[in-house]
Amino acid sequence: MSGSKKTFVITRFDPDRDEAPRQQSYEIEVDPRWKVLDALNHIKDEVDPSLSHRWSCRMAVCGSCGMMVDGKPSLTCKDSLADHGDTVEVAPLANFPVVRDLVVELEGFLDKLKQVKPWIIRAKERAVEEGTHRQSPAEHQEFKQFSMCINCMLCYSACPVVANEPDFLGPAAIALGHRYNLDSRDEGDHERQEVFRGEGSVFSCSYANECSEVCPKNVDPAAAVNQAKFRAVIDWATSFVVPRGGEG
Amino acid sequence: MKQWLLRLEPIIWLLFGQGILLGTLLLTGWILVVGLAIPLGLVPAEALSYERAHALASSLVGKLVLLALCALPLWKGAHHIRSLAIDFGGAERDTAVAGCLYLIAIVGSLLAIAAVVRL
Ligand code: FES
Repeated sequence: MSGSKKTFVITRFDPDRDEAPRQQSYEIEVDPRWKVLDALNHIKDEVDPSLSHRWSCRMAVCGSCGMMVDGKPSLTCKDSLADHGDTVEVAPLANFPVVRDLVVELEGFLDKLKQVKPWIIRAKERAVEEGTHRQSPAEHQEFKQFSMCINCMLCYSACPVVANEPDFLGPAAIALGHRYNLDSRDEGDHERQEVFRGEGSVFSCSYANECSEVCPKNVDPAAAVNQAKFRAVIDWATSFVVPRGGEG
Repeated sequence: MKQWLLRLEPIIWLLFGQGILLGTLLLTGWILVVGLAIPLGLVPAEALSYERAHALASSLVGKLVLLALCALPLWKGAHHIRSLAIDFGGAERDTAVAGCLYLIAIVGSLLAIAAVVRL
């Protein structure tokens, strides 16, 4: 396989030395079968060991290799170099604080994931002897799509609302909360409604649909967000008829 | 005010959603009939003569359609302009902007209600 040359313009930032991010170019020989991540690993291993970037599985499962490639959020282990020109720009994911080079700060995102209580909530726990919670394939199908998220955060860097309203829960977190609301074993809808209608309100979404465009796992978070809005409206409307017990 | 807005978000979104769905549908039909079909002579002008139009508008269904036609697009517009203002960097002033926009929609809706009731 004959190689060709490509130039990578990579955003670098060392908090100990740099006032602001700067760009550094690397011209390297690439294999046409490479993904963007292969090129970054080559640069780190062979050219400049000071380059920092995150990755792990190299098979679009762990969600750690998200970056901006040529200005668009991309899962670099899935993004073929062949789809890019002779110059490829790589930058850290937009809408996140940068820790160093291509590595971004995850705290805010992880906190939002926690806020939506992504676990099965039961009004009353069931004793082990009573057996497992059964679920039919049709019930599983209800939420399966929304459970495929790998937390790569591409949707957050694509979302224009996240860019302007840092408190917004954001696509992945809402999709995850909605996934549990749709789960037949879960009874935590009302608890999550408080979060969905709180400071990071699902209604902040202006339905730009960018999240679903960039999602590498076809989760369609925009659909989840808008279904969540509708559920929030129903919950709000029925709260006048059916008093909510056990709140707070 | 911010808490109020948050609490009212579901109803605002519902009105906005209906503004997109019903408002756009009705408004398009209205423009097609009044703005194009009648001037072009595709529909005879007598079809919407004063008596006929008045009779239609004073029926319950007519009143509801007119109300939806006048009020829902206001909510759609208000919500869209609010989102636009945020997109253009007005997130900090969102509460004030949203308050003004929704106030216009509320006043407009009340006027529309008053108008159709008096028909
Ligand atoms: S390295 Fe795991 S998703 Fe890309």
